Amino acid sequence: MLLDARGVTKLFGGFRAVAGADLAVADGEIVGLIGPNGAGKSTFFRCLAGDLVPSAGRVVFDGDDLTRASPEAHARAGIGRTFQVPATFADMTVLENVMVGAFLHHPGAREARARAREVLDLTGLAPLAGQRAGALGTPGRKRLEIARALATAPRLLLLDECLAGLTPVELRDAIDLVRKIHRLGVTLVIVEHVMEVIVTLAQRVLVFNEGHVIATGAPREVVADPAVIEAYLGRGYRERTDPAP
Amino acid sequence: MTLLQVVVGGLLLGAVYALFASGLTLIWGMMNFINFAHGEFVMLGMYAALLVVTWLGGGPALFALAAALVLFALGAAIYFGLIRHVLRGPMLAQILSTFGLALVLRYTAFWIFSANFVSLPQTALSGTLSIGGLLLPVPQLAAGVAALALTAGLHLLLTRTAVGSQLLAVAEDREAAMLVGIRPDRMQALAWGLAAGSAGLAGALMATAYPWSPSVGATFGLTAFITVTLGGFGSVPGALYAGLMVGAIQALSAYWLGPIYKDVVVYALFVALLWLRPQGLMGRA
Amino acid sequence: MSSDHWRRAGAALAVAALLAYPLAASSPYYLDIGVTVLLAAISASAWNILGGFAGQVSVGHGMFFGVGAYLPLLVYTLWGWPPMAGIPLGMLLAVGLAALIGAPTLRLTGHYFSMATIAVAELIRILVGTWGLVGAAIGLQGPATARGWWDLTFRDETPYYYIFLGVLAGVLALTHALQGRRLGYYMRAVKAGEAAARSLGVASRRTKLAALALSASLTALAGSLYVLKTGFVDPDSGFGILVSVQMVIVAALGGAGTLYGPLVGALILIPAQSWANSWLGGGGSGLTFVLYGGIIVLVARFEPGGLFELRRRMLRWRPERSRAA
Repeated sequence: MLLDARGVTKLFGGFRAVAGADLAVADGEIVGLIGPNGAGKSTFFRCLAGDLVPSAGRVVFDGDDLTRASPEAHARAGIGRTFQVPATFADMTVLENVMVGAFLHHPGAREARARAREVLDLTGLAPLAGQRAGALGTPGRKRLEIARALATAPRLLLLDECLAGLTPVELRDAIDLVRKIHRLGVTLVIVEHVMEVIVTLAQRVLVFNEGHVIATGAPREVVADPAVIEAYLGRGYRERTDPAP
Repeated sequence: MTLLQVVVGGLLLGAVYALFASGLTLIWGMMNFINFAHGEFVMLGMYAALLVVTWLGGGPALFALAAALVLFALGAAIYFGLIRHVLRGPMLAQILSTFGLALVLRYTAFWIFSANFVSLPQTALSGTLSIGGLLLPVPQLAAGVAALALTAGLHLLLTRTAVGSQLLAVAEDREAAMLVGIRPDRMQALAWGLAAGSAGLAGALMATAYPWSPSVGATFGLTAFITVTLGGFGSVPGALYAGLMVGAIQALSAYWLGPIYKDVVVYALFVALLWLRPQGLMGRA
Repeated sequence: MSSDHWRRAGAALAVAALLAYPLAASSPYYLDIGVTVLLAAISASAWNILGGFAGQVSVGHGMFFGVGAYLPLLVYTLWGWPPMAGIPLGMLLAVGLAALIGAPTLRLTGHYFSMATIAVAELIRILVGTWGLVGAAIGLQGPATARGWWDLTFRDETPYYYIFLGVLAGVLALTHALQGRRLGYYMRAVKAGEAAARSLGVASRRTKLAALALSASLTALAGSLYVLKTGFVDPDSGFGILVSVQMVIVAALGGAGTLYGPLVGALILIPAQSWANSWLGGGGSGLTFVLYGGIIVLVARFEPGGLFELRRRMLRWRPERSRAA
């Protein structure tokens, strides 16, 4: 297993945002994390990225225990991530943004710049290389975040709602990009609350509700699971369709 | 007995620290913003009291109220004229705005009132009270007790009234507060008014008991910051305990080491605290 | 192409003007202004590495300046060494002080770091003022007349001018080199967004500490230069609030986070301050501080990027305007 998270629990005060979630990701997989808003998937994601230290449980990546490791240690270990609200370096150019990521494995500026240019070509951002990142629109910034993370040469890339809020055309481009990254051998964990997108991309999905993983499996099986339908559509729906408790 | 006398004197001053530190902590809690001019608000409260007494006469109740109102208005005006525009700006602008403001206020006071120490003319509050052998100057006693009551009042205002819950709602989640019809801008201006007003009031109370000059603001600003650090950012009860503690520590270090060292000990304690518990003594981890 | 041409010509002209200034300065008064401008530019450039590039706003940098100012005169007073020998000691001590303050506070938010820098600067100023070994409130004095060239005590200010100019060139070259290297990129990334920077493998605390240490040592160097020129230091001229404030305002006025911002800020502010002082009758009335505070507030409120940002925006604005017409 490339990533093995066991019994991950996160408490905020008395509130149990994530309650004993398990996730094992094999090399080369695309795994989706879905669930309604406030289900705990983003908190779980942040525990995997090193943003939050879990209250209980373990996160092991490629044999190394990263449960309490800092975000930068996660990056060094080979985990890249994006942010739900794009956090690009507004006053730096697109190229400079990507260079910050490239410096992780290329300490010299010339090598980092060359590596960053490769990533810009790959992600289709090359024409914007000299622009201020702050001047980009949301789709551009989301793409730049992916490019920046990619420049750290991750083995596992965690994408946090990188597809939400895009127009159909932008969405198609973004899905193409994700597939391209996957073909390069990068393993992906994708958080989305729009189920349709994840179904086309992921080989396996985990569904979160109220801090628990309530279903896991191939996308098409999972969307048919009554527990998932109830989580998304509410208890009333289930009671009407399934009178037996 | 002397030691007890020293500690009680320190606690009375500490209660005033608690009052103006509460304002700083309120602004921090709502806006994640440290007001570098907070000590200058205290200093202006002192001069406001002096001007009212000299021009209008009247007792402590009048000049304390006047100082509170003037500073409340100033605080709200500063929010609308300056703070509102830098709140979402870069960190540098946030820090420089009130830092520059502190310089303007402090040295304008220098220019107008000169660097000399002044004190209020004798008011109704004078003399010394003897309680069980403990000698308590009435001005100190009155300032301390009033400050204690006002800090408690501020806490009740924040926790028990509708306005207080609106203020806290903005602190908790600006967007959500807007959705339920609270106007964050007004609430933040109110917070600045309350913070400056309580600082001005604290200044007026201290003016009855201690002489001052325009430069006291710098020391008070630091004292307030250290008090807030000690008590945990955003907590009025924390500011109260910490204020009393700072007052007592200052009084004891002045007594044992000499008056020059009263601030040194507090600052040194602060540096030690940074290393040991950077989130404050009563703060959350 | 032509704008590049112009820029190069302008830079050459600026360098020539800086080199020739002492020859053109008609009186010691103007020469002194020149020396003061250079010193302000050096200390503000040193501040700029931390405050401008790494985004950690210190308002107590006077503590490093003061350490740098005291050490040369301390080694002279205690052991009769040439003051110059105290320069590396001052820089080292400043780095130690930086580590002491930075290690705990740089974990916290920027406001907190700023306030902590004031508290520590005040603590040191008060302690130095009561400590007999370092001259207490009276301060320390350097050699009245030079025992040899190594005392760097000159009656005329011209040698200081060229020494300071050389140091300024060195500090700017260092800053420029930093901008092009990994540490420089990491500093800007930390300033722009710490969480994002860390997710890319930037050790943010170490980056901020490195910026602080570099900034502190160069600020101490500026303090040493100051004291070589004046031959005298006391707690206020070394550690006082004016020292800290001036670095911030000079850098912020020209443009914090730009290479030449501090120099531009010094070129404007120091002569302006000097003229204001002669009009307003000396710095004692406090009006200088009112002016400083006012400038800081205006910069923060209207143009936090300083004059460089203002110029950049005006240059961008003009072609758009002509296209629309």
